[in-house]
Amino acid sequence: MKTFYAALCAAAVLAACHEIPQDKAKPYAGKEDVRPYAGDLFKGDKQKFEQTLAARADHENEYLRTGDAKK
Amino acid sequence: MARMKWICDAERCIECNACATACKNEHEIPWGVNRRRVVTLNDGVPGERSISVACMHCTDAPCMAVCPVDCFYRTDDQIVLHDKDLCIGCGYCYYACPFGAPQFPQAGAFGLRGKMDKCTYCAGGPEENFSVEEFRKYGRNRIAEGKLPLCAEMCSTKALIAGDSAVIAKIYKTRVATRGKGEELWGWKTAYLAASDKVSDNLGEANA
Repeated sequence: MKTFYAALCAAAVLAACHEIPQDKAKPYAGKEDVRPYAGDLFKGDKQKFEQTLAARADHENEYLRTGDAKK
Repeated sequence: MARMKWICDAERCIECNACATACKNEHEIPWGVNRRRVVTLNDGVPGERSISVACMHCTDAPCMAVCPVDCFYRTDDQIVLHDKDLCIGCGYCYYACPFGAPQFPQAGAFGLRGKMDKCTYCAGGPEENFSVEEFRKYGRNRIAEGKLPLCAEMCSTKALIAGDSAVIAKIYKTRVATRGKGEELWGWKTAYLAASDKVSDNLGEANA
């Protein structure tokens, strides 16, 4: 019985120790933005848009251009 | 889906401030507002290091969490933007941001704050793409042109690189392997790699 009360007390005390999520998802209240690939350039083709950006990002790798990267 | 991020390589940055200048010029940013700036640690001391700092477009952005009018949103490419029509210039985001990204133009006498301005990752804002309004409020929309932010694209030493986190993490990995240095480098363990990738994506694999 003593153990039962001890466990009950521990449960009651530790109940306050759980983490309460504080970052409630908040809805965006502003104007809707247009997708960057929605214009004339990409005509809604998301894949082409992402490939274009990835190609430009790859261009930042000069080792790729010169072939000097340590293999 | 792309997750657009930056990496600034402190081993390469020469503190030329071209990124900050390019940003100001590209978006016609007014005096007193610095969307990007170069921070130097131990300036003048041998071994000084510089990094270019702007909005990091955090995955869990504190500015978004504290904004009382909910003017922040995240694009499909994980770029954190905000609606200036909604912003009340309270400055909460400035206090929440660990990078000092939110900037406030002076809007009148006695230091009256205007609406918050910050790096848009050259992605404009919630206005029609390439419109005059978009440029006036947020600057040029290079992302919709299929281009990356100008600061990174014109960085002469390629210290600042921008793009999808997977792509730029790979570029950085190549650099680290080529330099022959390891995980002691700034940012390697903390930047943009999932925990599961860190185990397999180490230098051992690159040197193999």
